[in-house]
Amino acid sequence: MPVVDVDPDELRRLTGKEEKSDDQLKQDLFGLGLEYEGDTEDGLMQLEFGPDRLDRLSVEGVARSLRYHYGDDRGVAVPKTNDPDWTIEVDESVPEERPYVTGAVIRGANLSEKGLDSIIQLQEKLHATMGRKRVKGAIGIHDLTMLKGEMLNEEGGNSITYKGIDPDGDTFVALDSDRELTPGQVLEEHPTGRKYADVVADYDKLPAIYDELGLFSFPPVINGRRTEVSTDSRDLFVELTGTDQWTIDHMCNIICYALDARGATIEQVEVDYPDGTTVKPDFDVRTKTVTHERIETMLGIDLDERETIDLFERSGLDARLDDEAEETAYEVSIPPYRVDVLHPVDLVDDVGRAYGFNDLVPRYPDVGTVGGRHERSTLEDAARRSLVGLGFEDLLNFHMISGEENYERMNVEAGSDVVGGGDPIDITEPYSEDYTQLRSWALPSLMMVLENNTHRAYPQDLAEIGLAAERDDSENTNVAEHRTVAGVLARYDATYEDAKGRLQALCRDFDVELETPATEHPSFISGRVASVVVDGDEVGVVGELHPKVLVEHDLELPVAAFEFRLDALAGE
Amino acid sequence: MRLPESQVAVLEAASATDAQTIDQLAEATSLKPETVTGAAFDLRDDGLVAVEETVETSATLTDEGEEYLADGLPEVRLYRAALDAGADEDPVEMGQLIGASGLGGPKVQIALSNFARKGYGVIDGGKVDADPDADPDADEEAAALAAVADGDAGSVDDAVLDQLESRGLVARDERTVRSVTLTEDGVTALMEGVEAAQTVDRLTPEMLTTGEWQDVEFTEYNVEADAPTAQGGKTHILRQTADRVKDTLVGMGFKEMEGPHADADFWINDCLFMPQDHPARTHWDRFALDVPPIHEVPEDLVDRVEDAHRNGVGEDGDGYHSPWSEDFARQVALRGHTTSLSMRYLSGYAQGELEPPQRYFSVEKVYRNDTLDPTHLLEFFQIEGWVMAEDLSVRDLMGTFEEFYRQFGITDIQFKPHYNPYTEPSFELFGRHPETGEMIEIGNSGMFRPEVLEPLGVECDVMAWGLALERLLMLMYGFEDIRDVHGTLCDLELLRETEVLH
Repeated sequence: MPVVDVDPDELRRLTGKEEKSDDQLKQDLFGLGLEYEGDTEDGLMQLEFGPDRLDRLSVEGVARSLRYHYGDDRGVAVPKTNDPDWTIEVDESVPEERPYVTGAVIRGANLSEKGLDSIIQLQEKLHATMGRKRVKGAIGIHDLTMLKGEMLNEEGGNSITYKGIDPDGDTFVALDSDRELTPGQVLEEHPTGRKYADVVADYDKLPAIYDELGLFSFPPVINGRRTEVSTDSRDLFVELTGTDQWTIDHMCNIICYALDARGATIEQVEVDYPDGTTVKPDFDVRTKTVTHERIETMLGIDLDERETIDLFERSGLDARLDDEAEETAYEVSIPPYRVDVLHPVDLVDDVGRAYGFNDLVPRYPDVGTVGGRHERSTLEDAARRSLVGLGFEDLLNFHMISGEENYERMNVEAGSDVVGGGDPIDITEPYSEDYTQLRSWALPSLMMVLENNTHRAYPQDLAEIGLAAERDDSENTNVAEHRTVAGVLARYDATYEDAKGRLQALCRDFDVELETPATEHPSFISGRVASVVVDGDEVGVVGELHPKVLVEHDLELPVAAFEFRLDALAGE
Repeated sequence: MRLPESQVAVLEAASATDAQTIDQLAEATSLKPETVTGAAFDLRDDGLVAVEETVETSATLTDEGEEYLADGLPEVRLYRAALDAGADEDPVEMGQLIGASGLGGPKVQIALSNFARKGYGVIDGGKVDADPDADPDADEEAAALAAVADGDAGSVDDAVLDQLESRGLVARDERTVRSVTLTEDGVTALMEGVEAAQTVDRLTPEMLTTGEWQDVEFTEYNVEADAPTAQGGKTHILRQTADRVKDTLVGMGFKEMEGPHADADFWINDCLFMPQDHPARTHWDRFALDVPPIHEVPEDLVDRVEDAHRNGVGEDGDGYHSPWSEDFARQVALRGHTTSLSMRYLSGYAQGELEPPQRYFSVEKVYRNDTLDPTHLLEFFQIEGWVMAEDLSVRDLMGTFEEFYRQFGITDIQFKPHYNPYTEPSFELFGRHPETGEMIEIGNSGMFRPEVLEPLGVECDVMAWGLALERLLMLMYGFEDIRDVHGTLCDLELLRETEVLH
């Protein structure tokens, strides 16, 4: 979940609520769904919230939400924009993997230290969320006065160009650097370049933005030093590139709204694609229609129309009664910074939040259903009760294991035709070398528990019922899963008979017929191991573990064991 | 008459005329005093002896008392020093006397206060004026100390003993002394002859069949001593917690779901309207499996789900601006939540079409590749539940969860508005910890979005919630590190000692 660092003084200033204490602010924020997580070293409040309201990724956005919450602002507000002076030319050479660009010119930004920090934070947070770590969208903010636009035509106007270049096609001085590097060198030598090299690793051409003086930005990796923004910068050029126009346009809107909240003026830019021209930012207000009845049934409350419209307005939305609809319905306008409204239910949620979900009175639904357990899980419980009755400690181990534990340390070969020898289900990118695959049987887990508990009192009679799986391409998922029953008896005088005796008791409990024809299994002592055959089906193995396996697990006493498929106890 | 050996010995040692104490009888019979006491009471219950109880007071010197016995009482030492300094003639500076008496520390104060009390003289203006007529050799408290030391406390006046006790020089102790005399029946029994009964260690089958048990006495055990603890099996604490949750949910009308741990991303994420470029779907968070894609998913459902992702549902619906491919949807991974089961059931794929109302649940393992700390493991149990009915409201959702958590002693639930890609409205549930009073996150919930339900063919409302079983366990029973109980690093001792749930 995103976390935004917010200066409480800035928040008070931007909401106009100088009198609110930090605690009151925290409480109000909790009501909006922003949870106070603690303070940063610099005394900023860390607020965590769901990744839907990405317009709240800065103090400006949080303040805007609070002003609606307090009722100080109502309805949709759209910043005024000036007509475009600048144009972004999109060259034919632009990388096909990253064809989209958008932007805005900001006049009179006058950013304080705190204001600049907030905008930089917003930029980074948008990169991490909507921008999918700059893959889908990346933002560059430049000092406009450092740009020299190329003259477009006789009517005047400035332009910059978005194009694609070869890795060694040009040089520039990147931020936090003091020498000319090619984009290719930036990817190899500059720390930020190395960090984002993956994003452009498969690109044929690298994205580059030029003004008349030359290359000044290498999106989505790093800006040039020439146009670096500081607290002295009054006018800004914001550009965004990405893989999806809608996404970068909305990232741009969120940035523009934040700067507008700090008193800046937004000036549009033209984007000239080879196949047509558009004007950005796009502050188009969308509408969706939601019925009064849907609001009432979802929230479980009665509302009148005026009250409902009021709740919409306090959410920063505009609503008007839809005259053409057959039933009472609202046409709701959605401001251009909202990226989370996909369906009318999202508007119902806004009404609920404005109403205060915690003011709703819970009621137990008057819906009659009959409960019940799944037969697989009741069988498992019954088998577990029998095992515990026989004196086994019931264990719970991970279904993930390493191949070494599952096979090698048990003296079993992967892909061999013995219990536990099934083909492995490997995890593509394992988190750690201890968990690289699903276990094909549970005995290795129990052996590991014995190994880790040699300092504990014996006898150690352990059992587990859990998942085991092996590769089987005839299964729909290509994974054959089953529940397995495993037991070990670690005691100074453990013998085959101890294991088989308990197996007999289990089979008697479930009224199934047990036979134990001799077999061979590399984990067990030859001549002291048998197949577990239940009602004529071979379902497992029972025997005395091989000294090789015992020594491998640092055990200094004999262990008798069994493992078989749980469904064998179901009979039929 | 047959009596146990110890009773026979006591009976024979007792007299009808001279009362004998337990200690005397113990010496006479060579039995332990507690054995004699037990035997005496048994004999009294049979009417063969009488037991008389008296309370005897004994006094002993404390460490301080011992010290004064050896060195003299501080006030006496002060008086003798005063006499040596001629304070019986003219008052003498106190400082001088204290130095001469060799008293130091708290003893100075003790000496001064008792000096005046006993009339050894007067202390005024920092000077000591000793009474020439006082006789330190006749100090009755000093004499009493000597008497107590000699074990002759009985000869000391009670008032003096009280004084010494209040000065902390003597400790008094009361004890019950029991003395035993033979009754007439006892004398008669002795005259008629008393035999010691045979004592045995173990009751044997033979004794029972022959009736010999009637003539034997069983040796007494020390029934208070520790025995070796019996070692039995126990259901794992997490399983016990899961069972309790299942009982509760079945009681609330929920049916249990079942389904694969390794499943297609389609069921795990796409049906849930999770965009394919959602951070939780990257390789970091999920355990993708190195197996071919799933063979079969219902094709018409795949089409509807893709359409929901791309275009949204309904007239006013919007889709995501994210890539979507069926190939990704068909990849097989370990499920990150059991909501994959809910999708299988709601779509009708698991069990055929479901008609509302329905309630379903599962308490099963899920796999997440993101966090590893004392409360999170790579594998954990998720409690998943949903209710399907016409016109469900947020209030119904709240009422259901309040009822569920109340069963576990968690009341005062708060609903924090939240965001999930698959539910709207969504809530994080917070509950007050029964012990610490803190508000703690106890679950995630919401009403499934139309983009989830419409492709599945569900035409009514469905509310759902999820919660980590481990969280409930830790909240209810105070475990601090889940790794101690779950997994191969578990400590058998801890599992054996864990209290059972009831």
